[in-house]
Amino acid sequence: MTTANFDALKAGDTIDGPAFAVSRESIRLFCDASLDYNPLHLDDNYMKGDFGKTNFGGIIMHGMNNFGLISRMLTDWALPAGAIHRRLETRWLKPVKPGDTIRPAGTIKAKQTTAKSRWVLVDVAVQNQRGETVAAGEAMLEFPTAKAG
Amino acid sequence: MVQAESSAATPFETDFWKDAKLRKVWDDIVPGAPRNTLPYLLTQDAIALYCRAVGETNPLYLDEAAAKAGPYGGLIAPPAIHILLMFACTPADDWMRSPGTVNAGQSWSYNIPARPGDTITLQARALDKFIKRERLFVVHDNVFFNQHGDVICSGRGQTIRPM
Repeated sequence: MTTANFDALKAGDTIDGPAFAVSRESIRLFCDASLDYNPLHLDDNYMKGDFGKTNFGGIIMHGMNNFGLISRMLTDWALPAGAIHRRLETRWLKPVKPGDTIRPAGTIKAKQTTAKSRWVLVDVAVQNQRGETVAAGEAMLEFPTAKAG
Repeated sequence: MVQAESSAATPFETDFWKDAKLRKVWDDIVPGAPRNTLPYLLTQDAIALYCRAVGETNPLYLDEAAAKAGPYGGLIAPPAIHILLMFACTPADDWMRSPGTVNAGQSWSYNIPARPGDTITLQARALDKFIKRERLFVVHDNVFFNQHGDVICSGRGQTIRPM
């Protein structure tokens, strides 16, 4: 796990995220916290049906739960260094189901200095317990020059 | 009173089937047309519940004394609180609540943090719609503001619409 220090960071450095155990209860809690009560996350009977060519076979975790975990990883890494989480883009690659354990991770991709600030681009991904990538994307963090490093 | 006009005035309908018939299907959605939105009073309880759901423990979100001594001079919400705001700031007939809506990906940019006590407003619309591999997609774009008119965050996403 690399330290959030702009000058020392280099491409390939990694950020470790927290493991998250997915359960019916964690999904239900995310419903209550997000107000997203889509039956995809609640209703096993509904999820027996097909979605176009896809059959999920049961309820699935909110895609945005991945997003929230990646964001948590980034802020936990950046905030102590005075850096700011400025952007996150993600796409979902595989459904996540109760019983899965997922973990986000980041890899530093590039650094950029602009007229007024300094930026770090991070490739992010979430993997399940089988090592399958369930979500992937890219983040941008600002390291303001006023709070160097 | 702000609260009387906000989404807090009526309890949140958790049965997304109930108003399903009122919602626009893919054919009805007009790219560029604004979505109806509701102001929402963001409470510390709602922030704490979101934090519990994703395991956030940062004192900036949860510990008033520690947050007061920190860089923001008080409690803030985590950046991804827009996950909640998207549903909190839209009415029960909004098409984002159509059962079977599948989120295909999102991107968000963060300006300033939301804070407990903020009255949040949303400007939102469908921006585009298309068909790909027999699936019906809609692109949505969204900007959340606080009560001072400051941008909190802006985001874009794609959903696959139920058939």
